Amino acid sequence: MQAIIVVVIVLIAAAGAAWYLMTPPPAPVKKIAVVSDIGGRGDLSFNDMAFKGGDEAAKAFGVTMVELISKSEADYVPNLETAAKDPDVILVVGVGFLLTDAITDVATRYPDKDFAIIDGFVPGMPNVMSILYEEHKGSAIVGAIAALAAAQYGYSHIGVVLGIEIPVLWKFEIGYKWGADWGLKWYQNKFGKSAPVIGDTPVKDRVLWTYTGTFSDITKGYEAAKAMYAQDAVAAYNVAGPLGLGINQAVQELATQKGLTNGPPFWIGVDANQDWINPGFVLCSMMKRVDRGVYFATQLAVQGTFRQVVADNGGIVTLGIGTKISGIDITGISVSTLADLDEFIAMGTNAEKLTGKKVLPMSPDEIKSKATAMRNSVPSWIWDAATELENAIRADPNLVPLAMSQEVVDQWRATLG
Amino acid sequence: MALIPPFFLETLSERENKVGFSYLVKEEKASLGSQMSRRLAGTIRPVSESGLAVVIGLVVGAFLMLAFGYDPIRAYFALFTGAFGSPAGILESLAFATPLMATAVTFAVGVRAALFNIGAEGQMYVGAMGATIVGGAILLPAGVHPIAATLFAMCLGGLWALPAAVLKIWRGVHEVVSTIMLNWIAFWFVTYLIRTYFAEPGRAERAMPALPTARYAIIGATLTTMIVVVVVFCIAVTVLLWRTGVGFELRLVGDNPEAAKYAGASSSRAILVSFLVGGLAAGLAGASQILGRPPSYALYATMGNLINLGFDGIGVALIGRNHPVGGVFAAVFYGGLMHGGRFMEYNVGVASELVDAINGIIVIALAVPEIVAIIRRRRES
Repeated sequence: MQAIIVVVIVLIAAAGAAWYLMTPPPAPVKKIAVVSDIGGRGDLSFNDMAFKGGDEAAKAFGVTMVELISKSEADYVPNLETAAKDPDVILVVGVGFLLTDAITDVATRYPDKDFAIIDGFVPGMPNVMSILYEEHKGSAIVGAIAALAAAQYGYSHIGVVLGIEIPVLWKFEIGYKWGADWGLKWYQNKFGKSAPVIGDTPVKDRVLWTYTGTFSDITKGYEAAKAMYAQDAVAAYNVAGPLGLGINQAVQELATQKGLTNGPPFWIGVDANQDWINPGFVLCSMMKRVDRGVYFATQLAVQGTFRQVVADNGGIVTLGIGTKISGIDITGISVSTLADLDEFIAMGTNAEKLTGKKVLPMSPDEIKSKATAMRNSVPSWIWDAATELENAIRADPNLVPLAMSQEVVDQWRATLG
Repeated sequence: MALIPPFFLETLSERENKVGFSYLVKEEKASLGSQMSRRLAGTIRPVSESGLAVVIGLVVGAFLMLAFGYDPIRAYFALFTGAFGSPAGILESLAFATPLMATAVTFAVGVRAALFNIGAEGQMYVGAMGATIVGGAILLPAGVHPIAATLFAMCLGGLWALPAAVLKIWRGVHEVVSTIMLNWIAFWFVTYLIRTYFAEPGRAERAMPALPTARYAIIGATLTTMIVVVVVFCIAVTVLLWRTGVGFELRLVGDNPEAAKYAGASSSRAILVSFLVGGLAAGLAGASQILGRPPSYALYATMGNLINLGFDGIGVALIGRNHPVGGVFAAVFYGGLMHGGRFMEYNVGVASELVDAINGIIVIALAVPEIVAIIRRRRES
């Protein structure tokens, strides 16, 4: 009896659904598909920035963006494949190096479809664009800012908290150290004397650097940063993703202890504009604009020049400071400004809606005013120096050393510590 | 095995045991036909119950979608055609199902012995580590390599289940407490091992992948011949439970500990066997994701490609009525939801968080009949 009822219900439901589905679907439009890594939506970093870029590109070029959220590593291939199979999709974007194997696999099986991967290195395929960033240049600028802040506030050191020691992090480490050195030389030229306090620290000891060996253990970030501030570091640069929250905790402890409303001590954000996380105590952020990468790839796909650009550049497109490809400006590295804080506050507001959890530490207006007050409290010559270094980098693309091998890294560590 | 009178082994199936022995003997001789129809009736009831549960789950999920302004019919159509509407879809769904078939066994074998073994998660991590060690760090010839890696993974899974079994037998420590703690220990222990000894050079995010010689052959999509191994394992566990003395003892202890004691069954051995088989199953699930899941064949940091497969196995076991073969079918269904869910998102735009919620509702609805049955059994005993 039960069985009959079930069968009847199922049949009726199936018939109803079939009838319903007879209504024609809407006319197809060109689409771009963005496949997240397991960070998913609301990570306030890579994935959110990629979706933001996709959204902006969709509006600008009249395409639709479809999102595919990966809940597990096992979702990468099926997610990419789902998008690749859709005839309306003109570009499939994989967000983050975690998707490297999956993109290689799916792009091989769908040679007619165009793929882009953020931060992944998949060279030599006609249909894959690897979008990389000049993190060493951005790191150099924040290194200069940190060193000059140490001079201004009379601190003897600056710090950098890194994740696992993999080649890509060397770019950050050496860039930052080089930038600090550049900044102190700039000070000497500008004021005709060696920078106070940090200028007296031996060159090899100026930058405190720690590879924590993790990209997830926030406590390790706290411990590393705490030790740096105890050794009189004015700021610690976060090169370990979520460990920034640990660095922030170390800063906040000192702030509460001394009753400070803004730094020093400071910390420096990475990837996204992280200035909002603790306004007043985040000196600035080294932004790696994933959104620009997605936007640029979409632009090329819509214009039909995607494969040409891939072929001309060996599959690698590097976004940096003032970089250009086929006449299009593809700047993807910059130091955070007050102007772009709004976009990232909006991202936080969205994440709050999405997760139902509190993300922003205070109201957007308070964030803005605290960040503004901090920026104004830092003397303008520090920001001028940053601009000067940026211009120098634009003029000479090879100014900042790019450390990609152990030998080069060892060489720079021998001189800069 | 000698502890149990031989007639128990040969003729009693679980249901018949409840009906009563004398009735059974008559029936056995009476006619094969009526016995078969009774068997059939015994299968139809749970299947129709589960069918009803699916319908209820789908309807509740539909209301949820309507509440958020999505089109439930199109969404379900996308879900099921995505999961089972094409050969590629079916293969992918089966690939998602493979580890769940194994982790469902862990829970099912536990329940059969009246245990609430939720340790599949940690045993699976350890198993995956074992597969990584033998499959990724040791050189062996092609034919032997996958077998050795799989067996080692299963053994480690079994080994990781032992502390919970021993604590239960020796001190009566509840298995929920011990297994959940062991899950965390496994998580951090495996994380430590990957980071310190087995990281792939130059890549922070994962352990060294299984060598090509250790990999199972790809059937299609991300499905490999690993599924055959897992299905055979599930059948073997079924045979163990229903066709051997050890299995009978295990089920007897689970069904009625008092009667089991009276019959001279060893509850310690039943518990030990249940944990051990469960651990082997979970270890196999771990191995399946390392040796039998392209394209990476590697264990990811923070267990990114394993996480929750052990806990999902609990739901799968409940849907499959705590029967290893039932679990195989339930896993295919569950795998279909996991794979098909992305099409609800992709084709109809349903937010991925809502897709999870809908899949959850369907799974809960499906699990209800078995949960009720477990509660009823507990009350009775």
